[in-house]
Amino acid sequence: MNKFVGKITISEILIWAFLLILLAFVLVPILFMFVASFMDAKQILAMPFDWIPSKEYFTRADRTFATNFIKAIRGNNNNNIFFKNLFNSLVVALSCSVTTVLLASLCGYGLAKFKFKGRNLVFISIMATMMIPFEAIMIPLYMVTQKFGMINTYPGMIVPFLVSAFGVFQMRQYLLTFPSEYLDAARVDGLGEFNIYARIVLPNSTPVIATLSILSFRNQWDNLLWPLLVAQQEKMKTIPQYITKFSEEKLTDEGAMMAVALLASIPMFVLFFSLSRYFLGGAAVYESRKG
Amino acid sequence: MVRKKDSLPKHKVYSIERKQAKWGFLFTVPCIVFFAIFAFYPIFYAFVTSLTNRKAIDRTWDFVGFENYVYIFTKDNGGFALSNSVRATLTFTLGTFVPMIVISLIVAVFLMQLRKDKQRGFFQLAYYTPAVLSSVVAAAIWMILFDPRGLVNQFSNTIMGTSGVDYNWLVDSVMLQISTMLVYFWKYIGYFVILFITGLASIPPTIYEAATVDGASRWKCFWRITLPLLKPTTVMVSIMAMLQCLKTFSTQYMFHQGGAARKPIDVITMNIYFTGIRNGRLGRACAMSIVLFFIMLGLAYLQLATTKSAEDVEY
Repeated sequence: MNKFVGKITISEILIWAFLLILLAFVLVPILFMFVASFMDAKQILAMPFDWIPSKEYFTRADRTFATNFIKAIRGNNNNNIFFKNLFNSLVVALSCSVTTVLLASLCGYGLAKFKFKGRNLVFISIMATMMIPFEAIMIPLYMVTQKFGMINTYPGMIVPFLVSAFGVFQMRQYLLTFPSEYLDAARVDGLGEFNIYARIVLPNSTPVIATLSILSFRNQWDNLLWPLLVAQQEKMKTIPQYITKFSEEKLTDEGAMMAVALLASIPMFVLFFSLSRYFLGGAAVYESRKG
Repeated sequence: MVRKKDSLPKHKVYSIERKQAKWGFLFTVPCIVFFAIFAFYPIFYAFVTSLTNRKAIDRTWDFVGFENYVYIFTKDNGGFALSNSVRATLTFTLGTFVPMIVISLIVAVFLMQLRKDKQRGFFQLAYYTPAVLSSVVAAAIWMILFDPRGLVNQFSNTIMGTSGVDYNWLVDSVMLQISTMLVYFWKYIGYFVILFITGLASIPPTIYEAATVDGASRWKCFWRITLPLLKPTTVMVSIMAMLQCLKTFSTQYMFHQGGAARKPIDVITMNIYFTGIRNGRLGRACAMSIVLFFIMLGLAYLQLATTKSAEDVEY
């Protein structure tokens, strides 16, 4: 709005003060997680809190800088279930983001570029499912999953999240602006309809695909509720469950707790700082829903 | 359809279009099947189950009509009544999404005032960082911060000028609710700031230039231009925020598992989980699910209806 170069006004100082206070509020807990994973419980709860991990912690004979992390990985029963759970989280999150992209783009393409009877009905019905919260259908889904013997299996954990209505919507909105001339040209050249989708539409939708896959990866990485229902065996659990379990049983070891939290966040931090554009875009595309 | 032979070219175009239409429909079939099985069928199944006395351990069950609904609305469900859950959910939703919308709007407006795009980019990225962490990680961090000897108490003591006072963040029932709100606010504030920034960026700067030339102050600009033009975004964002808050689960669950009392933060989703999975009362849990569904539907409708204006802004 106001981009006059030069004098700094009082309102500008106030704005900066406000923004910086919020910045501190947002970043301090994250910074806390980082430093606390290199402290023992005694130092974490010291009054006043010292932000620099004490020298003692590193030099004491029975500890190294990685003690908290080793505890975090060993878990409650020293059985290294952490890696298995990490692997489960990755499998579920990756599969969901791949299938979401494939199914949503296929459906979005069909809705955006073809005219067929009942197209609007299909579109509206899919949008209507956004009003059905997962939390309201999880019990019936659980009952069905149980019936098919899919408790404690990957399919059971993945299947309810194969595609999202929002993903379909996002792909459709994006493909509406895709020039139909390309498609017609390909048809004239004799390319089959499915090949047009696979070789022309899909490769040309990379920005929206990136946003969508990151979004669905993050949602599954964060998902606690559904794994709580279907992953009951230790070896099928995911990272959010691991953290919950760990916090229940290692209540007094805050350092190890923060080490688990940090380890669980590393994949997301790596994704975020290398692809922040798509993360922020992922938030912004919700906006396009209005029109 | 039968067509006359002499209109051959037309006929051909028609058949190509038809063929294409068939493909278009085929492309949507996987998703239609998916949503039929994993959205429409379960909500229907939830309703049917809510009319039975089904339990996880029993093989047989009977239809009991609306008995489950009568039960969850009148009985206390082993100390964790639905009425308490509705209260907890609504308190949480109101206490989280109102401050969230107001503050994220203010922050977004402030960020637009910054002189350099780079600064704005930095703040956006930094504010968004907590949203990257998973909810359980967020709850784990804050549980330690809320410890009687933790940073939050130390900070509150500094601000309030007291010393050594424990504000009972995870013990007192009111403070416990405020704590969950704070965690949620912390996690999602950056996300909503970005939504508002997107809305603000779509307002053409020429409008502000014209207003400034006419002598309007920034304050006036905000109330007379920004706010009215931002109305569609605000409606969208607040509905989204509200629906998201109504579905909250992880923070409350994690706090409870970490030792906090369940009752003050026993949101509906948590009650469904405990009733249906831990206690195996599937019929009752399904009745609660249906209630949750209608609360969300009702509130979304109410918000749309009250904020919908006849004159849509064009710019």
